[in-house]
Amino acid sequence: MRNRRIRILFTIIVFVFALLGLIIPLSDNVNDISIFRFFPNINLGLDIQGGVLLEYSLDVPEGVDTSNVVGNVITVLRRRMDNAGYTEAIVSEVVSGGESRVRVEIPGISDTQRAEELIGSKGKLYFAEVLEVVESTTTPQITRNRTIQINGEQIEMYSYVRDSNNPNLWYRVKNVFEFGDSPFQITGLDVTDAVASLNSQGAGFVVNLNFNNEGRQKFELATANLINQRIAIILDEEVIIAPVVRERISQGRAEISGIESMEEAQNIAVLIKSGNLPVDLVKFQERTLGPTLGRDIVTTIINAGIIGLIIVMIYMIIVYRWMGIIADIALVYNSLLLMGVLSWTGAILTLPGIAGIILTFGTTVDGNIIIYERIKEELRIGRPPLTAVKFGFNKVFSTIFDANITTILAGLVLFFLTSGSIRGFSVTLIIGVLGAMFTNLVVSRLLLESTSHFLKPEKYVKGIVVEKGGTK
Amino acid sequence: MPNIDFVGKRTFFIYLSLALILFSVIVIFVKGFNFGVDFSGGSEIIVSFDKSYTIDELRNGLQKINPDYATAKIIQTNPGGGTLERFFYIITVRDSFPILEEKQAFINSLEESFSDSSLNIEQFNDVSGYAAREIRSYAWYAVIIALIVLLAYITIRFQFSYGVGAILALAHDVIITLGFYSLFGIEMNLTAIAAFLTLAGYSLNDTIVVYDRIRENRTKNRGMDIERVTNKSINEVIVRSLNTSLTTFIVVFIMLLLGGRSIASFAFGLTVGVIIGTYSSLYIASPIVIGMVKRRKKTQKA
Repeated sequence: MRNRRIRILFTIIVFVFALLGLIIPLSDNVNDISIFRFFPNINLGLDIQGGVLLEYSLDVPEGVDTSNVVGNVITVLRRRMDNAGYTEAIVSEVVSGGESRVRVEIPGISDTQRAEELIGSKGKLYFAEVLEVVESTTTPQITRNRTIQINGEQIEMYSYVRDSNNPNLWYRVKNVFEFGDSPFQITGLDVTDAVASLNSQGAGFVVNLNFNNEGRQKFELATANLINQRIAIILDEEVIIAPVVRERISQGRAEISGIESMEEAQNIAVLIKSGNLPVDLVKFQERTLGPTLGRDIVTTIINAGIIGLIIVMIYMIIVYRWMGIIADIALVYNSLLLMGVLSWTGAILTLPGIAGIILTFGTTVDGNIIIYERIKEELRIGRPPLTAVKFGFNKVFSTIFDANITTILAGLVLFFLTSGSIRGFSVTLIIGVLGAMFTNLVVSRLLLESTSHFLKPEKYVKGIVVEKGGTK
Repeated sequence: MPNIDFVGKRTFFIYLSLALILFSVIVIFVKGFNFGVDFSGGSEIIVSFDKSYTIDELRNGLQKINPDYATAKIIQTNPGGGTLERFFYIITVRDSFPILEEKQAFINSLEESFSDSSLNIEQFNDVSGYAAREIRSYAWYAVIIALIVLLAYITIRFQFSYGVGAILALAHDVIITLGFYSLFGIEMNLTAIAAFLTLAGYSLNDTIVVYDRIRENRTKNRGMDIERVTNKSINEVIVRSLNTSLTTFIVVFIMLLLGGRSIASFAFGLTVGVIIGTYSSLYIASPIVIGMVKRRKKTQKA
């Protein structure tokens, strides 16, 4: 009896736990897809709700340890996503086959161009003195070039840089300013803030830059010496603008003007603010799914799953009668439990994850069938219902345990060795199989033991005379 | 309880399985697999139009963009149940577009070629060849390590011969199902991998239920020879095996029929796998253990 009380307690506690996970608002997701609208706490993967997944490998120069730069890249990309308004984006490191990569997932967008522009840009900003402007369709040759060492970095003194709007326009620039005591550069590191806005004095849009102290001094020194000459603002080896300096600028501010669209201005501001990417990123894979198509696909799959499930539930009732009804209750119980755990843990549900859920339906039904066949065997040899149920459960314990532990072991291997959507599969599989074991061994047992008088042993007993109506 | 002689006919079924495996291997070698972009690399693009095109019209349009796209795979599809009054096509090209400008240029020329039908890019999956190779390699690691762990577990809980039997049955199921994928040209992609993993779990589960009963019956009936114990055990669990298989089959088969293209690779694998897995757990997994157990007894006596 004590056992049963513990089972009742566990059954109810677990049920309430699952239900709370579904009801308490844990996140501000809005799931409007199929049955997920009833489970707003479940994080849906991009292959379900639509969005873009971009994965990049790092083009690390030889001799540099990738693990040192990955963190830096993630920070820069995270900042870029936030500044650009994609605050829901997930930026993460993916380790696979000994190689580190960076993955950016942005839910809900289908136009990937802007995201790709932001991610792919190195965001390297610097100012340079313009020596010459040439018009040519090919890269002009630099004849006399020399390098200079600044802060341990080897910098080429002169280079040709293309105009960002006119691919035929080239600027010969001097990358290093040689005023004052020692040569210096003005880069994105000297900028504290970059804000995009409408140009109040003319056409187009501007980006206002604010320098830090050191940057302010350097900028003042440079502008003081370059009056009536042009100074180029270069982002990712393209000249954004090369205005003529009219006066010495000492307020620590600069303005990049002549930008054609607000979006471009915002992109430039985001890139400058988020800092430089230390390495080039090479696109490894892209998966973009439009939100409407995603919704259609998932709805179709779930509808098919539900139809199948209902047929199975009816089948169970036909074959196992009262025990079939209990199997169906167990199935619903385990489904709620799974959804609850997914809500609590914030695990991401992917399409293969839905496949995992379907598999755990199978495991739950299977566990019940194993139990019921055993109970039937016990009834056949003439045991009374309650004893048959108890014996049945005791005997199937090791079967259910062994059969499911192997599945969980396989799931764990998968979880640790894979990434992305297959990992989503292993997550739902592990949770679901554990839930199925609990449901079958505790919940089903409780229900069957309390309702064992509904079982009709005479149906299973052949050749044994049963006293009819004699018990009560 | 049924009383079917599973064990007595084991030689026949082992030969039948060997024949099926041989057939699968030949089909795989001759016909190969229909690899999706996950494995072969390239781009799979789902586009929709507000009017219908024939495959030839689409191919001509693609060919104009790049003569290489004459070999593109084009499938008309219907994402199902949708409210969208549009026509969907899946275009698979070998190219991957790692650089944004290239991809944009491709999309722009698509829009130009089919300018009068409001083209929409619904899905864009771009996997570089390297990614595909890598997915394949980590899948293998996962499979090998999982097999070792499972062999160890079954050896601890049962006996080494049972572990080998379970894994042979598993390999049997997977190879034959792979043969079916090849035979019917079902796409091999990540969801197909998920199907194989599911199938592995299912096959093992089924096998272990039988093994468990054999273990129980062996301790209960000491002295009874292994053939009879095995046969008795299989007969005792067959109703459960058939009921479980049938219920699983119902779900996956309906998914295959109604679930649409994106789940088809998964549902196909399970629909075939359930049948093969049930067969192997009844006729293959336990009968081959008998051979091993007997051989071991002989060597122990000698």
